[in-house]
Amino acid sequence: MSKIKALVVDDSKIMRSAVKRTLNQLMLADFEYVEAIDGEDALEKFSEDIQIVFLDWNMPRMTGVEFSKAVRKKGNTEHIPIIMITAEKSMGKVDTALNEGGANAYVTKPFTADQVSQVLSRYIDKNGNFLTENGDQGEKKSFFKDMLNFNKQ
Amino acid sequence: MSELLPIDLADLKEIPQEIITSVRESVEVTFESISGSRPEFHENGDENAPMNGIIGHITVFNSYHTLTLMVAIPRETALSISEVFCGMEIPFESDDMGDLVGELSNILAGEVAASVEQVGFTGQSSLPTVTRGSDLKLFMPNKPPTARLRFEGSGGGFWVNLALYESVSRK
Repeated sequence: MSKIKALVVDDSKIMRSAVKRTLNQLMLADFEYVEAIDGEDALEKFSEDIQIVFLDWNMPRMTGVEFSKAVRKKGNTEHIPIIMITAEKSMGKVDTALNEGGANAYVTKPFTADQVSQVLSRYIDKNGNFLTENGDQGEKKSFFKDMLNFNKQ
Repeated sequence: MSELLPIDLADLKEIPQEIITSVRESVEVTFESISGSRPEFHENGDENAPMNGIIGHITVFNSYHTLTLMVAIPRETALSISEVFCGMEIPFESDDMGDLVGELSNILAGEVAASVEQVGFTGQSSLPTVTRGSDLKLFMPNKPPTARLRFEGSGGGFWVNLALYESVSRK
């Protein structure tokens, strides 16, 4: 099982630690982490070998959605799942992140290990291998619909 | 723009009850999801004694109005929250404690923004700032409509102070 290179972007060190701790505790895969303190720092640290991104929204200098748009604009990055992990909860924000920002999934803070596990199961198989073809648009739309329905309940 | 509030707040003496209730419920939901137990709301939360602790400041705003949230957490409560949130107690004087209270304020503001949107106040949250010290006392020099909500959680008591202003961009 090879290591999955994850970019963890959050202006809060505590939250970056919480994301890494949760991923390690889940033991779904072996992760190697690159950390960034905001969108601009993340863009500088972003490289072709990054396989998955965990991304906060509200950060100084460059927001998570601005970063996500910039990454998608680079081209040939559609296969990299961008998981928003953010305190923003309104449906308008979810819509913006998934449909305009190019993010693939949306988890709200404070998150549970179960929520992260559920999202990751779309990208990582039972043997801890990365499923590079996942995160297509159809799946994203379906997830968004599910989330809308969940919030309406 | 808010459907709930007049554009000009000069004649508004109190924060509308709908907003206060939304914030109260947001505080309960946020702290419950972090600590596993729902903090108890106390009606008589208007005492304003100087505090030894830490205060997270954050706003939910639109171009017309700004709702300021000040989460005032006494030292012992902050230490207790850090243990629950991080799995270990964080030193009160550390940068990490400021980071934690900032993030807590950020999470609360996200919940508040989504909740007050349901009652007609659409806004986005700012980045948080944090103040730590002793003999801290909050006061509002421009006398805006305010509310002071007191909660008692499993890790101790804390306050959430609200103030409602017209946004600077409108002036």
